[in-house]
Amino acid sequence: MNMELALQTFFDESRELLTDMERILLQLESFPGDAELRNALFRCVHTVKGSAGIFGFQHVVSFTHVVENVLDRLRTEEIHLSQLLADLLLRCRDHISLLVDIADPEDAVRLASASQRLLTELGPFHSVTPPQTPQAVVADSHQQHQWRLSVQIAADALRFGMDPLGFIGYLSRLGQLQVTTSSQAVPCLAELEPESCYLSFELALTTDASEALIKEAFELGNDLYQVQLECVQSAQLAKLSAGPPNDSSPELLARTIDKDAGQAHRRKPPAQHFRVQADKLDRLINLVGELVIASASVSLNAGHSGDAVSRESAANLNLLVEDIRNSSLELRMVAIGETFQRFQRVVRDLSAEIGKDIQLDITGAETELDKTVVEKIGDPLMHLVRNACDHGIELPAVRQQKGKLAQGLVQLNAYHESGAIVIEVNDDGNGLNRQKILAKAKEKHLLTGDGHLSDSEVFNLIFEPGFSTVEQVTNLSGRGVGMDVVKRNIEALRGSVELISPGTLGGTTFRIRLPLTLAIIDGFLARVGDATYVVPLDLVVECTELPKALCNADVVSTSHYINLRDEVLPIILLREHFMQPGTSGRRQNIIVVRHGAHKVGLVVDELLGEQQTVIKPLSGIFSHVKGLSGSTILGSGQVSLILDVPALLQQVSQREDSLDRSNNRHVRAPLAAC
Amino acid sequence: MKQSKRNDVVVMQTEQANEQQYLTFQLGQEMFAVGILHIREIIEYGNLTTVPLMPDFVSGVINLRGSVVPVIDLSIRFSRGQSQLSRRTCIVILEVDSAVSCAADSGSEVSALQEVGIIVDAVSEVLEIAPKDIEPAPTFGTRLRAEFIAGMGKVDGAFVILLNVQKALNVEEMAKLASVVEPLEQSHYG
Repeated sequence: MNMELALQTFFDESRELLTDMERILLQLESFPGDAELRNALFRCVHTVKGSAGIFGFQHVVSFTHVVENVLDRLRTEEIHLSQLLADLLLRCRDHISLLVDIADPEDAVRLASASQRLLTELGPFHSVTPPQTPQAVVADSHQQHQWRLSVQIAADALRFGMDPLGFIGYLSRLGQLQVTTSSQAVPCLAELEPESCYLSFELALTTDASEALIKEAFELGNDLYQVQLECVQSAQLAKLSAGPPNDSSPELLARTIDKDAGQAHRRKPPAQHFRVQADKLDRLINLVGELVIASASVSLNAGHSGDAVSRESAANLNLLVEDIRNSSLELRMVAIGETFQRFQRVVRDLSAEIGKDIQLDITGAETELDKTVVEKIGDPLMHLVRNACDHGIELPAVRQQKGKLAQGLVQLNAYHESGAIVIEVNDDGNGLNRQKILAKAKEKHLLTGDGHLSDSEVFNLIFEPGFSTVEQVTNLSGRGVGMDVVKRNIEALRGSVELISPGTLGGTTFRIRLPLTLAIIDGFLARVGDATYVVPLDLVVECTELPKALCNADVVSTSHYINLRDEVLPIILLREHFMQPGTSGRRQNIIVVRHGAHKVGLVVDELLGEQQTVIKPLSGIFSHVKGLSGSTILGSGQVSLILDVPALLQQVSQREDSLDRSNNRHVRAPLAAC
Repeated sequence: MKQSKRNDVVVMQTEQANEQQYLTFQLGQEMFAVGILHIREIIEYGNLTTVPLMPDFVSGVINLRGSVVPVIDLSIRFSRGQSQLSRRTCIVILEVDSAVSCAADSGSEVSALQEVGIIVDAVSEVLEIAPKDIEPAPTFGTRLRAEFIAGMGKVDGAFVILLNVQKALNVEEMAKLASVVEPLEQSHYG
């Protein structure tokens, strides 16, 4: 057994279990009566403890054991989940996760005092029973039993990572334990295999623990241990030490733990998931990317050859490659719910900390997006959620004055929209104060001039570095770092963020738009002069010819909009925007793209049709270039640039105010002398 | 432990030998040289895609077996006018350490080897230049920023300019130059 691998699995599993534990705890707060949840909670901790035991992480086991006891009592409804206990258990969960992460028992010393503190707090919940049943305690402590265990261990046990010391340690914590080791089976040195286990044990245990609790010691290795368990009265204790067990004893509860039953109990439903290393998946997707390029080249060549048969095969190949691409990208798709779930805890803790009552509503948790995107969206979302709680939602008293419910509402919502995922963070708080932001912006010299600004322009000021309208800096937010980072992080994912106030719930709404994947997209190819550009196909609404009357460059450059079926359509002349040399051809086309609520026409020379494109990042040299999000390789081997439509639109609309058109536009500034 | 130390010594020795080897190439009438450890490969000129809104010295990008590599016109970068394309023009792919502050990691510095292509008029040969044959760069007279020059190598009585690749092709600096293009362009509007 590869320990390294097993250990990794332990870490992964524990992390998952602890995440589950948090989720269940939070659910349980809302549905305290749900027995299934209580059992699940117990199982989480129990499994973590068990696996930690296998690896001999005593520091984890000893702490988890107490938590487990408490949860066991919760499960059997001896105690109830109060707010206090829930808080405590959540903190215990965090502590367990810390303990698991350090793994090295020697480092655990650092956490010992924290462990001790939590254990002391847990004390009332496990050692003393709640006041309403004081008699039970007394009765319990009197019901000490003598247990006799005889344990036979399979020779293979050590090879499977079962250390007999594990269960001995466990049992010794339950009560008084006497161990007699039988070494009769140990062969002579020449025949001894150091990896085999030859020992068997006779144990005498005095404890108030139940039979089930004792059996748990052997649950993890239940096919390796043969356990006989019997209950003996104190009087018989003398007999026990004297000779072999008396099988005819009436108190005999001896039962070999039923192997089959045990296994059936532990057998999980048929595996629906299996773990794959992320880098293997990444490699597969890279390869699929290359495959896409290769197949594009095949269809290109087939098209040139004019041979109908090879054209057909190429078309078939293309279809298959598209399927492969989609299914392999799906492998990396995960539901956003897991990320959202984290915020339940954040909001809960936060609201307690700042004295507000806030509920977090999650919708669209099943919306899927690429794992790489999910990993990077957590931090920006965290900022927004904290902001919503701290700045957005008012204090309960203030809310009641305004005639709102005392309980504030923060909503996380996700849905798909034209090839992108939209994540909304809504709150029903007080929204943004336009005047306050404007004043602050002037104070910080972010604004020059008194030009009239639209609401959205004003609100977007809060994404400027160092901007905060809160007079008091709290330890949560308000330092003015953050929103610019949020924006930068989202833009780095080829996404965008906008702010709407008043939002859907009356307060503020942040709307984040992200691409579903960062690897491969469907692209629409267009030619401008010598260059070929790719527009993400999801954004393309339609293509149409630029009306002949407008093809004359002068006409278009005076008015940058056209009439599209009685709708005003602003247009961007790509050739002009990118300052490409040469003049446009006689016939030009418009690609109508949509980004959010905006619709814009991109004027290009020629439409080349759609193609799957593999996104290749552009080198660092181009990191400051706006309007391009990356590059891709065409079937011909040529590199083509992918248009970053949102950035392009932003650039153009920012410029709109100062559209003083002079015709002395130089092509490429003479900067080379620098 | 011991084993790896010994390996280090071997590596260092070969590196020293390599450090003295330089690829010489022609840019206009001048000879330049670059330490061969920086050189990845030499390819034929062609299939260049222009990137708009970039300064002139960025000729564009090429597809190097699946990765997209920027190509610099060294001649413009060194203020010597645009390269004249000829039959012998080629692109030398170099590896440069790049530390570009990258928005994706909230402004943290990402250091990585980056491939950059340079257009040269002709590639000559790989020469061994001993450290004693390398003179410090003159303060002026080369029509080149002093920091671009690592030294002047003596070869057959003539000098070749040994380039400091890290400085001459500093990705961060070039990115900054590229970002200046836009405000200038905007000023034409306003």
